[in-house]
Order: sequence, then structure tokens, then C-alpha cells
Amino acid sequence: MANEPSPQFSSSVRLKYVKLGYQYLVNHILTFILIPIIVGISIELARVGPDEILSLVRFLNDLDLIYVMSTLFLVIIVGTVYFMSRPRPVYLVDYACFRPKPNFRVPFSTFLEHARLVPQFDERTVRFQVKILERSGLGEETCLPPANHYIPPTCSMAAARAEAELVIFSAIDELLNKTGMRPKNIDILIVNCSLFSPTPSLSAMIVNKYKLRSNILSFNLSGMGCSAGLISIDLARDLLQAHGNSNALVVSTEIITPNYYLGKERAMLLPNCLFRMGAAAVLLSNCRREKRRAKYRLTHVVRTHKGADDAAYRCVFQEQDSEGLTGINLSKDLMAIAGDALKSNITTMGPLVLPASEQLLFLFCLIARKVFKVKWKPYIPDFRLAFEHFCIHAGGRAVIDELQKNLQLSDQHVEASRMALHRFGNTSSSSLWYELNYIESKGRMKKGDRVWMIGFGSGFKCNSAVWKCLKTVKTPVDGPWSTSIHRYPVDIPAVVKVL
Amino acid sequence: MEVLTTLTIVILLYSLYLLYKSYKLKCSTNCYLVDYVCFKPSPDRQITTRKCGEIIERNKNLGLAEYKFLLKVIVNSGIGERTYGPRNIIEGREESPTLDDAIEEMDEFLNVCVHDLFVKTKISPRDVDVLVVNISTFCPAPSLASRIVHQYNMREDVKTYNLSSMGCSATLVAIDVVQNIFKSGKKSLAVVITSESISPNWYSGNDKSMMLGNCLFRCGGSAMLLTNDPAMQARAKMRLKCLVRTHIGANDDAFNSAVQKEDDMGRVGVHLSKDLPKAAMRAFTENLKRLLPKILPYRQIALIVFHVVKQKLVQPDAKLNKVVAQINFKSGVDHFCLHTGGTAVIDAVRRALRLSEYDVEPARMTLHRWGNTSASSIWYVLGYMEAKKRLKKKERVLMISFGSGFKCNSCLWEVIRDLGDGDVWEDCIKDYPPKTLVNPYLDKYGWVNEETEETFNREERSESFKNSPW
Repeated sequence: MANEPSPQFSSSVRLKYVKLGYQYLVNHILTFILIPIIVGISIELARVGPDEILSLVRFLNDLDLIYVMSTLFLVIIVGTVYFMSRPRPVYLVDYACFRPKPNFRVPFSTFLEHARLVPQFDERTVRFQVKILERSGLGEETCLPPANHYIPPTCSMAAARAEAELVIFSAIDELLNKTGMRPKNIDILIVNCSLFSPTPSLSAMIVNKYKLRSNILSFNLSGMGCSAGLISIDLARDLLQAHGNSNALVVSTEIITPNYYLGKERAMLLPNCLFRMGAAAVLLSNCRREKRRAKYRLTHVVRTHKGADDAAYRCVFQEQDSEGLTGINLSKDLMAIAGDALKSNITTMGPLVLPASEQLLFLFCLIARKVFKVKWKPYIPDFRLAFEHFCIHAGGRAVIDELQKNLQLSDQHVEASRMALHRFGNTSSSSLWYELNYIESKGRMKKGDRVWMIGFGSGFKCNSAVWKCLKTVKTPVDGPWSTSIHRYPVDIPAVVKVL
Repeated sequence: MEVLTTLTIVILLYSLYLLYKSYKLKCSTNCYLVDYVCFKPSPDRQITTRKCGEIIERNKNLGLAEYKFLLKVIVNSGIGERTYGPRNIIEGREESPTLDDAIEEMDEFLNVCVHDLFVKTKISPRDVDVLVVNISTFCPAPSLASRIVHQYNMREDVKTYNLSSMGCSATLVAIDVVQNIFKSGKKSLAVVITSESISPNWYSGNDKSMMLGNCLFRCGGSAMLLTNDPAMQARAKMRLKCLVRTHIGANDDAFNSAVQKEDDMGRVGVHLSKDLPKAAMRAFTENLKRLLPKILPYRQIALIVFHVVKQKLVQPDAKLNKVVAQINFKSGVDHFCLHTGGTAVIDAVRRALRLSEYDVEPARMTLHRWGNTSASSIWYVLGYMEAKKRLKKKERVLMISFGSGFKCNSCLWEVIRDLGDGDVWEDCIKDYPPKTLVNPYLDKYGWVNEETEETFNREERSESFKNSPW
């Protein structure tokens, strides 16, 4: 015999329906107001006799031709000016990610063996790195560049350039093939790579390899951390507003070779365990003809910089240890600072993307708390109403967990981030593109879906971008996941025993 | 019917309002240079000829052949006695620079220059909307842009961009970023910081092509405040008329003319190849092709077109040298800010544009007083012109710079009001141009040219380096 559902459950279900009803009402308020007006007008028209309608038509005919023409002319001018002054839409035509070959793989056993053989690491250092790796959420297929497979790793400039050429050129070759874009048609080139900046720049290297035009607008961003990919997108958007009918190539990568830390400082060993090789090349355009085949349209970009705060600024810091070895120091406050930066970011993002129902609720709650001093918890808007998919920078397991908690997301929402971390590791600024590809490969991307990309980086910066899908992406998708998507999602245990 | 009339009036008013808004937006797309500040390092960082000799002598990898080569380079470079170097090189630690040395060099610049800019323009750091930093050869994490945001407590929504490795022409790339952001019409304030990091980039080997960088580059930097707010036009110094960027990286020789790499012994340095002048000229020509139609008066353009057509009709296969000789480059430009890459660069540009000594004097004097401060050099050149009270209202200033890649960027400014702010040249402008033309390095170290391998005694000579009265 079925039991009566508990009162708590019933009330929560009732509350859910109330909330749904409220959302439906507020978000479609315009429809709800217009319907009675239209009904009223049609009833009025039905009552009015044919004579009155005829007299109205005769009146309109009597009007001066000049009067009518000038009004029409004015409407046309205003219409044109309005349409011309609107911001140009920015389309994402396509993107491609670097697909590492299996011979670059660093399974846990390889990592352990190499760490033991590197003369600079003592037993304590090795055990610490392995402990981090066990809890990192990384899998057995993440890849390191060839230079890092040497014992000890070779950190020469030549090796770093070789890695840069390998990852960047593969990604761009794949993108140009996919889109059929001729290199001579690229008008804007933006490259971001945080920790490797040779002379001539990586952007000059790309201009040289693909023989890009001499009037190309190239930019090389550096030192901007894991959120630099979205900074490049923001710059591309600004440039595409200023230049019509243009194509922009954005390349995001991180070069691992020169940044392997061979010291003993614990906080500086974390990047060794987490960062892996990757790159993404993205083609953006504001050409009308690209709209037909474009995958996404960029709707918003919001950037937040918490550098004014001391703790945030020192959170991810490159420094030299007591032995003079350079490495990146990750502070223990990273999670708290990331959460704080995200809060600032969504304060700006919220009003741009949330439906009216959530904004009203938030406002109502805020007024109650601040003005009437009612003791309520701050209302966290439900971002699941604004977005269908979330791409959270795969900085590490803890970052993804923290964001899932802050935004109240389900496991499926953060699945792309967790799986990208497992399969590819932390590929820095290009991780968001690997995650997007995961969602597409799983056949979840439908026309009209909105994607929220959130990136975090040194500074401390939190940047987000919102994309709207323009056409359903059909599987199978040719990309970095094509050989492994059938094995995902996997269950990632809290600790994977290696030692 | 009153309803119809009212409706028409409402549409009319709204359309007028929309037109007014579009017009206002158009007015806010100009890029104004409100003010700029150049960096003057402290006097204890000056590199005199004696100091230079000491630094070179410390490098045990160098022999007589290298000394002769270095002397030739320094003499031909046009660099004087009062240029500045970073502390670690002056204190003898050039072979093992630390991260802290590089940060200290940057901090000395940022703490002084950026602060001075805010004081001079009476702008609060919290009013800054866009921050673009370009420091080519040093990019720590967090970026130097973040360092400035932290130091000056800037807003959370400030747009920062940290450009790197774009060479000596990067300052105009930074201006390009700002100019494009301004085109959206939204009123903003932008700060552009330009400098170069010398401390971590000392080359300690003996590959001649890589030693050039050691001789030529010196410390310097500048900070600029730009805006597109028409209300600040009265305070602004100049308005940007056009900016042209050229990148000939597609050509392999040009791309490989300035490359940072390891030498045979594994030491990192910037290799400057013999093709560099040719690459520079090629890039310059490409740039001029696109720049000239934008800056020359219509009469000159019509004249050039006429001559080109005439030549093509008469001698279709002949080169256009005669036509080029007819172009009066100075008809659209009153002042020239040339990148102070070296005497050779300045002479080459002077010959190409047929400029007078008066036109290139600011560049030569900047090279003499400050050395090659990389991307910020054109701002020192501009400062010289201002200190000499050469910049008058409605005159036009052309900035030309070159950079690795190979890039040539140029831009044209229009002076808004008569300028006369001396800034860093205030204390020494009366000494320029100098009366004496004796090169101090040739004077002091000319003996190197007389020595041969047999006669050269290293220990004796190193004593003479240290005990010289200068």
C-alpha cells in the first residue's frame, strides 16, 4: 500500500509548482498584457459598422501626398540609422583543439617513475607530487610535451618553440581545413600564451607560417593567466565592432616546456601535477555570409579584476624559491578567492542574462534584507534558467567543486568540466574549448541553447562569456574527443591510489 | 485627426533624438592624447663610457676581436654618456639576473612614471576604464597590468591587456587597441604603459650578432593617458588622425631578422641578422604605400597619380623611382618622431623620406641622451620637440617605429594646442644639440683599433680600464 507522501515533500512539490507558475507569469508578462488588449480591439472593431471604416479610409486618402511621403521618408531614415548603429553581431564560425598523440601520454605510473628518477627531487617531494596527482581528478591519458619526457626535463628555448609550433599549428591547420578559410582572408590575429613569450612573438610565428597579409592586426597577450582566452575573445569582439566584414583568428594556449618546476617548494609543485599541453584555435567573424554556417553567436562578455585586493593579487604568483628556481606559487586561499571573484562577476552578469522573474526575486530579497532588515539568506539566482550548458575552467577538482556549490549546479552541468580535466588535464586558457567540444560530442548542443564559459586566472581575474547556439550540432563530432567520448562520462574517485 | 498629428509629432521627435544620439556617438570615436610622461631613472643608474668599459671587460668570454667589434658598434650607435642601465648590470650581476631584479627594474619605472601621470593629469586611478601595458621581454604571472591594478587600486571592471614580445613598435600596437575600443563610442579613459626590461636579457656569450642588443638597449619608459571624451578635448595635447600597421612576417628573411634563441653554448640572446636593415626598409615601404594616401594633401596625391600614369604609359616596365623622387613627404607632415633604433636606422629613414637634419634632430638627440629605449623611444623624441617648443596648434606629427616580426607601425597626430612642457628634457634641453661632435667612446677606447693579437695584453689593459681618470 502506497504511503501518504510526507508533508515536507508535498509542500516542497507545491512550492516548486508555485515557483514555476511565478516564473512563467513574469517571463511572459508582455504576452499576458497584450492578449486582453488585442481581444479588446477586435471586439471594438467587430462592433464598428462598415460605414465608419469607410469614412476612416476616405480621410486617409484625403491627406496630402507630401505629408505621407515625408512621414514615410522619415521612418525609413530613422529605421536605417537605428539598424546601422546597432552593435555588429560576432559569430563563432568554428573552433579546433589540439589533439595530443598517445605517445605524449603521462599515466600516473610514468609520472611517478620520472619524478623518482629526476635528480632534483627527493623522496618527500616525489611523495607530495604523487599525493596531489592522486586527488587531482586527472586521468591516465593527459599529455606533456616531448621536452618534459626527458629525465630531467629539458627547458631550452628551442624545445619551447618546438612545442609551440606543434600545438598551435595543429590546431590552426585543423581549423582552416574545417572552415575552408583561406589564410589571406584573416584580418585579425590574437594569440594568448601566459608563460612563454619569445621574440618574435607567437603571433609573428603564425603570420610567418601561414603567410598572412601584411595589413593584419596582430596582438600577442601574455602573462594574463588561465582566463586569457576570454580576454582575447573580448579584444576580438571590440576589434570586430570597429572593423566590418572581418575575420578574427584567436589562438589560446599554454606552453608547458619552460615552466617545469625542479625545486622543493610545495606550493610551487602543484602546477607540475596539474598543467598539461593543449591549444585551441577559434575563428570569429562579423561577416553576414558566415551567419549561415556559424555555430555560435557571442552575446555577452563580462570581465572582473580583483587585483586591487592583496590576497587576490598574491593568489597565483610567479616567484623564485630560496634556491633561485622559478615557479608558480598557488596560495591556499585560491578557492575562497575564486568564489569571491565569481560573485563579483555574476553581479554584473546576472542582470544581462537572468530572466525577469529571477531578477525581481533577487531585488525583492535584497530590499527585504537591506531596507526592512529581515533575516533571510541572500538569494542566489538560479542560473540554470539562463543557461543550458556551463563550461567552467578545469583549473582543478577543487575549483569545479567550489563553483558547483556556489551556483547550485547539478552534476550533469559540471560534467563537461570534470571530464575535460580527467581526459586532458588543466590545459589553461584552452580548457573551455575542450569542454565545449565534450558537450557537442555528447549530442547535447541544440539550436537556441545558451552556453556560459567561466575562466579564472592570475591577477586575480574572473571572466565570463555567453554564447548562443545557432544550429544543432550533430554527432559524431570530429574533435579531440572523437576517440574517447564513448568511454565518458567516467566516475572519478576522490583518491586514485598510485603509491 | 489630432491622434494622427500627435503620433506624427512623437515619431518626428523620437527620430530627431535617435539622429542626435548617433551624432554624439560619432563624436566620441576620436582618440585624444591627454598627456604623457617619460621616465627618468635615478642618476646612479647612468652608464658612462667608463662604466661601459668595465661592464665589457668583466665578460671573460670576449677577446680582442670582440672588443674591436663592440667599439665599432658603440661608436656608430650614436649613444652618449648619460644613458641609463638596470641596477643588476651596473652592480656586476648581469650574468645571473633574478626574477626580483627584473621586478625591481619594473617597479622603479611604474612607481614613478604612472604616479606622475596621475598627478599631472589630475585623474584618479579609479576613473581608468582601459589599461594596456606593453613590456616586450618580460612577462611574469600575474601580468604587469595586474601589478598596476593592484598598486593603484583600480576598479574591478577595468579592461586590462598585457602585450608582450611585440618588439620596439609595440607602443603603436597598444594605441591601436585603445583606438579600437574607443570606436564603440562609449566615453572611456585609457592608460597605456610602455617600457622594456633590460635586466633579465643580458647576453653573456660572444656571438657577435647577439652582442648588439647589449650595446644598444637602455632603460626608459613612458605612460600615456588617452580618451575619447569630447569634453576633454580642450585639455588634450594631440588627436590621432590615422594609424597604419604593417607586418611582413610572411617573408622568411624578415621574420628571422631578429630572433631570440640560444647560441652554440646554450646562452639566450637576441640574434640580429644582417638582413635586418633590408627587412626594415621593406616593411617601411609597405607601410608608406598605405600611409601616404591617408596623410598627403589631395593635390600631392593627384600629382603622384598623374606621374605614375604618365610613366606607365610611356615606359610600362620601368621602376617607379622617378615618381618616388617627386613625392614631397613633408607636405602632409610637419614633425617626424622616428624610432631611435640606432644611427643607421635614423639615417636610412632620413634618406628615404628626404628629410633635413632639423627634422631628424629630435631622434638623434634622443638616441644620444637616452639610448635605444625600445618602444618608448618615440615618446622621448616627442618630448624633445615639445621642450624645444616646436609643436604648434594644427601641426601634424608622424610617428614611425619598427619591431621584430618584422613590423613597421606608423601614426599621425594633429596638435590641438601650442605645447611647451619640458618633462624629462627640462634640465638638459639647453645642452642640445651639443656643440662638440667628438664621440666619447672613440676618444677613450680608440686604442683597441691599434692593437693586434700579439700586442694585446689582457691584464695590462684591464688595469687601464679601471684606473682611467674618466
